Amino acid sequence: MKYAYYPGCSLHSTAKGFDMSVKDVCKKLDIELWEVPDWACCGASSAHSFGHLLGLAVPAKTLVPAEKEGLDIVAPCAACWQRLVWVNHEVNSNPKMKEKINKAIGAELNGTSNVLSVMEAIAAAGEEKISQAVKKPLKGLKVAAYYGCYYVKPPKIAHVDDPERPHMIDDLMAAVGAEPVDWPYKTECCGASLNFVDFNTTLAMSKKVVDIAVKSGADIIVTACPICQMNLDMLQAKMNKKFGTNFNIPVCYFTQLMAVAMGSSPADVGMNKNYVPFESTLAKSG
Amino acid sequence: MSAEVINLSQLQNDHGDFVERVRKMSGQDVRKCYQCGKCSAGCPVHNCEGMDVSPNRIMRMVQMGMEEDVLRTKTIWICVLCSTCTARCPRDIDIARVMDALRIMSFERKITEPAKTANIFHEMFMNNIKKYGRMYEFGFAVGYTMKTGYMLNLLDVGPATLLKGNLAFFPPHMKNSSQIREIAENVEKIERMEGEH
Ligand code: SF4
Ligand code: SF4
Repeated sequence: MKYAYYPGCSLHSTAKGFDMSVKDVCKKLDIELWEVPDWACCGASSAHSFGHLLGLAVPAKTLVPAEKEGLDIVAPCAACWQRLVWVNHEVNSNPKMKEKINKAIGAELNGTSNVLSVMEAIAAAGEEKISQAVKKPLKGLKVAAYYGCYYVKPPKIAHVDDPERPHMIDDLMAAVGAEPVDWPYKTECCGASLNFVDFNTTLAMSKKVVDIAVKSGADIIVTACPICQMNLDMLQAKMNKKFGTNFNIPVCYFTQLMAVAMGSSPADVGMNKNYVPFESTLAKSG
Repeated sequence: MSAEVINLSQLQNDHGDFVERVRKMSGQDVRKCYQCGKCSAGCPVHNCEGMDVSPNRIMRMVQMGMEEDVLRTKTIWICVLCSTCTARCPRDIDIARVMDALRIMSFERKITEPAKTANIFHEMFMNNIKKYGRMYEFGFAVGYTMKTGYMLNLLDVGPATLLKGNLAFFPPHMKNSSQIREIAENVEKIERMEGEH
């Protein structure tokens, strides 16, 4: 299978480990990724707050090369993914808006490339292919799969999975031998980019998520979103200081765990770039 | 003491044009809201006391035509657009889109006072991607900290990011780094032409 690939800004900076692990897992599953040439930022989290058309036109250009190649497109960042999904939705349902978007980007976009989350692209490879690729099943590792908001809300636009009880990442974790825990905060918001605007509120929001994951018996939290990963991982030190907690739970991308289960070393997929150390947790499995 | 009687139908008649403008901008008819409060009950920001006015009250204020007050709330800028409210609203209103539309309106009116940091964040974000085509995170972090002191929050964790090689010191490199600036200029032109019609 071949897809167009839109890494987005985060995967080239704070979320390099996501980029590395997505590429690694896709390679092992014979999924070919063709990076959109000279892609630009999708404009999240700001462009849409300056105007509806601006919020659509900025990400729209990314879809043009994919459409020309006749490829569906994979966008691993949750925020990028949702912005691209909005563009397709408007282009397909609102001819006036389509015309304006095309005028703004100086190109013809028809909304024919599906925009896929990385979970969908990987799951589409099929259970058999995935289980064949597993070399070191993550036996005994209790994983809290955290989906955040963008993939499942608002459900009319973003419907990778159920908005309250999604299971797609849980299933992929089970497929590589780990034990997904059932927990109630799978889609509770971590605060996202509010981190930059109201730090203390974000800290309180992220703390709730980490707290419930720990109380649900998880050894590790996995995400599919750069900003979720950053908030839940990087802020733990700060949470402990402010709330007197004792959190020390690793937070990584679900693709990083998949890559490790498929035989890659954690360093190969950037796990050493995460904050909370993961070594003793991974040592427990297998 | 008698309670003030509010005649909602009368208010909606008197200030109907605000609800209508919100509808045009967001595609959402706020008149449908029957104040069940579900949006506020599940709002993660409201539950962490980040808002000055709860989401259901914002909806009521829009119904009542309280344009001046609603555009001056911190809530509309502090909302993370997580769409939890939207997913749960029994009246099928996309509340997050209403919030975003109110933001656009307050931005157009240049009302920055209630949420200064949010305004600085979004403005610097846009300027950054207009200049580089992609987010130059290190440059953004430094500039944003100079204006708001942001990185001071991360004194315990911040430097580690740089050491771990997560933030690149140099701006991103691409062939056509002015793509976003050009799109933004086109959007402005299109919107100006529309305004004239
Ligand atoms: S959930 Fe919907 S109907 Fe209920 S108060 Fe909020 S906006 Fe109104
Ligand atoms: S979209 Fe905004 S108002 Fe709605 S639940 Fe999320 S933060 Fe609250």
